[in-house]
Amino acid sequence: MSEKFDSKKGGEDDPRRFVASRRVLAVDFLMTYFIRLGGAGVIVTVVGIFIFILAQVLPLFQGARVSEVLVEGERQLPEGEYVALATDEWAELPMVVKEDGWVYFIDLKGRRGVVEKAPEWLGEDKVSAIEVDHEAQVISVGTESGQIHLLKYAYEPEFVDEVRTIKESLKQEYHGALEGGAPVRLIALGQSESVRVIATVAGALEKQQLRVQVLKRKRSLMGVGKWNASGSEDLSDKLPGDIRIEKILMSNRGDALVVVAASGRVSYFFRGDEGFELRQQFVPFEDQPQRKIVTTGFLLGDVSLVFVADDGSNRVFSLFRSERDPVRKFYHTKTLASLGAGSDYYARSSRNKAFLLGAGKHASLRFSTSEKVRWSDELPWKVQLGVISGKYDALIFLNEERELHKYQLNDPHPEAGLKAFFGKVWYEGAPEPKYEWQSTGGSDDFEPKFSLVPLIFGSLKGTLYAMLFAVPIALFGALYTSEFLHPKHKVIIKPVMEIMASLPSVVLGFMAALWLAPLIEDRVPSLLLVVTFVPLGAFVIGWFWGSRPMSVRKWIPQGLEFLYFMPVLMGLAWLGWILGPHLEHYCFTVTDPQSGKVVADFSQWWPQVTGTSFQQRNSLVVGFMMGFTVIPIVFTIAEDALSNVPGSLRTGSLAIGASRWQTAWRIVLPTASAGIFSGLMVGLGRAVGETMIVVMATGNTPIMEWNVFSGMRTLSANIAVELPEAPQHSTLYRTLFLGAFVLFLLTFVLNTIAELLRQHLRERYKTV
Amino acid sequence: MSKFSQKIGGSKRERSAPGEPMVWFSGMWLAIGILMIVFLLSVIVVNGLGVFWPKAVVQVELTEASEAGWKQSQYFAGELHKTQVRRVGSADGEAIPEIQLFVGNRDVYGFGFKFIDEHDVLQRTFPKGILLVERMEYGDLIAFPVKLQLADGKVIEAGDQGFDEELQRAVQRASDRRHEITHLERGEIGRVNQKMERLKMRLKKTELKGGNVKQVAAETKLEQDELQERYEKMAAEAAGLRARQKEETFHYRLVTGEQGSLELGGVVCFYYPNQLSTWTKLGHFFSSIWGFLSEEPREANTEGGVFPALFGTFVMTLIMCILVVPIGVVAAIYLQEYAKQGLVVRLVRIAVNNLAGVPSIVYGVFGLGFFVYMMGGSIDSLFYPERLPTPTFGTGGLLWASLTMALMTVPVVIVSTEEALASVTRGMREASLAAGASKWQTIQHIVLPGGLPGIITGMILAMARGAGEVAPLMLVGVVKLAPTLPLDTIAPYMHLERKFMHLGFHIYDLGFQSPDSEAAKPMVFATTLLLIALVVVLNAAAIIVREKLRKKYSSGAF
Repeated sequence: MSEKFDSKKGGEDDPRRFVASRRVLAVDFLMTYFIRLGGAGVIVTVVGIFIFILAQVLPLFQGARVSEVLVEGERQLPEGEYVALATDEWAELPMVVKEDGWVYFIDLKGRRGVVEKAPEWLGEDKVSAIEVDHEAQVISVGTESGQIHLLKYAYEPEFVDEVRTIKESLKQEYHGALEGGAPVRLIALGQSESVRVIATVAGALEKQQLRVQVLKRKRSLMGVGKWNASGSEDLSDKLPGDIRIEKILMSNRGDALVVVAASGRVSYFFRGDEGFELRQQFVPFEDQPQRKIVTTGFLLGDVSLVFVADDGSNRVFSLFRSERDPVRKFYHTKTLASLGAGSDYYARSSRNKAFLLGAGKHASLRFSTSEKVRWSDELPWKVQLGVISGKYDALIFLNEERELHKYQLNDPHPEAGLKAFFGKVWYEGAPEPKYEWQSTGGSDDFEPKFSLVPLIFGSLKGTLYAMLFAVPIALFGALYTSEFLHPKHKVIIKPVMEIMASLPSVVLGFMAALWLAPLIEDRVPSLLLVVTFVPLGAFVIGWFWGSRPMSVRKWIPQGLEFLYFMPVLMGLAWLGWILGPHLEHYCFTVTDPQSGKVVADFSQWWPQVTGTSFQQRNSLVVGFMMGFTVIPIVFTIAEDALSNVPGSLRTGSLAIGASRWQTAWRIVLPTASAGIFSGLMVGLGRAVGETMIVVMATGNTPIMEWNVFSGMRTLSANIAVELPEAPQHSTLYRTLFLGAFVLFLLTFVLNTIAELLRQHLRERYKTV
Repeated sequence: MSKFSQKIGGSKRERSAPGEPMVWFSGMWLAIGILMIVFLLSVIVVNGLGVFWPKAVVQVELTEASEAGWKQSQYFAGELHKTQVRRVGSADGEAIPEIQLFVGNRDVYGFGFKFIDEHDVLQRTFPKGILLVERMEYGDLIAFPVKLQLADGKVIEAGDQGFDEELQRAVQRASDRRHEITHLERGEIGRVNQKMERLKMRLKKTELKGGNVKQVAAETKLEQDELQERYEKMAAEAAGLRARQKEETFHYRLVTGEQGSLELGGVVCFYYPNQLSTWTKLGHFFSSIWGFLSEEPREANTEGGVFPALFGTFVMTLIMCILVVPIGVVAAIYLQEYAKQGLVVRLVRIAVNNLAGVPSIVYGVFGLGFFVYMMGGSIDSLFYPERLPTPTFGTGGLLWASLTMALMTVPVVIVSTEEALASVTRGMREASLAAGASKWQTIQHIVLPGGLPGIITGMILAMARGAGEVAPLMLVGVVKLAPTLPLDTIAPYMHLERKFMHLGFHIYDLGFQSPDSEAAKPMVFATTLLLIALVVVLNAAAIIVREKLRKKYSSGAF
């Protein structure tokens, strides 16, 4: 700005002295746009965070996308009745089994066309029952002469020039005769590492035999040996004689046999130490006019059974121990949307709890956990058979023209959904629907449990206890500081409180977990005494001191009460601490179940009396330490609001004879209430999102109980614990983002309320 | 309360004012709040500083009947750690007083701490000749010295004249050699390794681009051979030094009777804890603090210093500051000076305020998803395809951590700067504009200097928040033990992709992930004290600057 004045040419008369130099204008112009750009950038970033997190979450709520993949080459099968369809992991070489024992492998890449395998192992015999076990990769065959054949099929990828070719193999693993030699009508296989159980139904209807054959093989240093028959059992007597068996199913471990009768009655046999016993009989569609079951199948894990009735009703039954019955039985847990008509086929996923059903042209991919239809469509032709690929990324259908069609399946998050996150879900093995978080499990057939409710509950619980502890300190502290404290001391007190706000939460967490928790673990009675003594002491002293004559009262200057109270407080706290064990001795005694002696121990007394648990790292500890983060925030905002109340109100009140407490409580506090409320909201937001203290000072168990002496798992702690281990874009990853989103929204709402209240307060002060 | 006030009138007015107990009651809450913070800070300070103060070593003789002894011995020696009362294991719920000794010698005993019942103790003595040796491995050694075996074959018995001096000199020699080895291995050999790695990457890059691999291989062959030769030479030199570290040994006897020897290369320092005067204790105290600040951690972080963590915290905070201050200030200037004050700006201000209240972990989640996976992944596939699938920027690192923290602290800077800018009075602005200054000139010369203390306050507050926050860092690049510092003498000097250590995470990791949390506790307390000191000093600075600002503009709009 000095340029134009320093300019030699520019005298008083030079008209250019009113013209800014070009450089100045250019800089001004540039900076204007730079700053506008920067400012807008920051604002875009703010919105961007929100949008990014949302974008990570949204795929969770998408359904499955299915689209046909063009198949090259030959995919037409010869005439005949086909009974089973299976596929390899990559969905490149599906296998189709014909009723008469012929097996076809179809190369969907079109390089090898249809590879057929004649049933040479059959000899002169004729196939009368045939089933495919997808997990064990075994085709089990029963014949008219009562023979049993087990055929192992396998896929082996071969790489030539980094091009993958799948090679199939098919070989007979076992051959044996069934006792009695009657033609086999139905067959089912269950297999584990060393045991195979084959269930068969043989013979004519009037004298049908339900028989189980157990095969075993020995493991030796030379590798695994051959399968050998090691006994069989006739279960016909255990069933009512007049039923017509329509279908038998064997669980993979071979410990459960399910028999479905034409009447719609299902019998469940359990293999115990002494062979099979009939454990349960039930009719899945008992309440419906149409009880006939057309499709039955186990879900992955073999604890749930899927039934489809003749009219298309679809129900899932799961094994669990109910409260009344100590034995695991099947109970109705889920009802899915009706298919419209009885299903023609059933296929399950070997990745998750999805299954595929279809009636005529209609195909429907369903997910048991969430009771949702993931995808359904009218296909251009009627479908005979369908299968889900091993990676849950493709569907293969065999249509009525005996043509194979491959569909690409894109459904990365079948287990997600609003119900899974926020509703009660009836998980497998559980006796009732519940909210549960358990993201990882030991086995492949584990059902992930993604309920956010226990986590939100945990966050609220931690917040509640923190607020219970922090609010009185912060509010009364703020009231005292703004109304009674001498201004000279205010300059010290406020920064001290602000220093409190700056304590890193990891430090507080460490102190909570390794210092405070062990310290108060066996001193709960002492704490009880301290929290009784201290307020009581304050009242007694206040009452006593307030009733002294003025000449005595002036010994303690007004506004310094808190300072004089400090030593008393410490004395009272110490007294309570010392007397605690005595209180415990008189009030909290329990009889030790082992020695029968009477012990004074609060940590045993609490669980015995209330029936809830007592943990070292509990909500009490968390609440106390979270107080350190909440108190200063609430204190600062509330103190500001109180201090900004116009002085005229205060002096007016005092002038008409109100005491200082009356003025503070009835005049100042109500005027500043909006600001105080705003402080509470901000404090609430802070407590909800607090992470490190909770991670360190609770057990991080996602339980739902309000018990003070147990821990919890909060949304934020859950993210901190699980996100580092979650694979990118997995359901867990996105669910954790959803947790972050919920936190974001929660604090955003709380803070917005707070901000609006503060603005409202400002308006109010203007008018006062 | 209304009844109360009616009763009071006339003559009684002098005796008591209504609500006086309530004043005391609210005073109590303030007292509790203040005592809480004072108490917590003093616990940290006492425990944190106590770690460095040398304690006397007590020798405990056990009674005949006691079963607490080690093998046949009736003695234990160690620092008295704490005295407490136990109920576990007592016959009838009786309280049994017991002491906890830090006995050291973990290599022999297999434990570092020992609980002894008070009634098992026959007598306590403080032997003058007992020696405490800080070792590179297995923690402290607490023993009586026996003799010193020097490299030239000379043997000095413990009682001999000049034993302590000779030991001191030998330890110093070993310590110098250790530094030399570190320098060789970290600096020189590290540099050679880096170069070789770069050659390898060049080769791979050529291969990826479809270039002439053979030609490049031939070109680099010579250089590679030369590097290999240099590497071998230096490795041999380091090995020679290492061998010399083992030549001199120190022989000792434990109070429990075991004899043993220790290579001097493994000794950090030694002192006679029961012979120290207050002054020597003070000297030892400060040298331990210095060691804590300047050394690298040993023994899974439970011993040694926290230098890498301190350095990591510092570098991260610095980068964060460089990123956050311009952004925050520009945004604040925009909001305050350029944007039209209307509904939109009001909404934006609410949004910015809200961002300050969003939990830090949410920023961590965003940082992981956006910076690490999205941006980092893209950078990797664009610029470092030869290193894939090993991620370079596609994993947590210094840059992403700093960016995440910057994002987290931006609202702090914006709010603080805006407040400061608003405090510059309208009169000043108008005077400047009236004198013919352009808008930017007014901002540059009048508004910004006036608001500088506020900007600095915001910056310091952001630094304090950044230094103390751990939750988001856990997701975007902090590790418990980083092999290299993010800043070193190997080009390009600043390694933004490296993972780093952080004081806050150090506390978390030591307190919660370490196998022996009792042994780690002193270290955690010391680190806690350091972190608190750092954060509190930063905050106090911010408060002071703000108070000054407030005074300066007390006539303004504050």
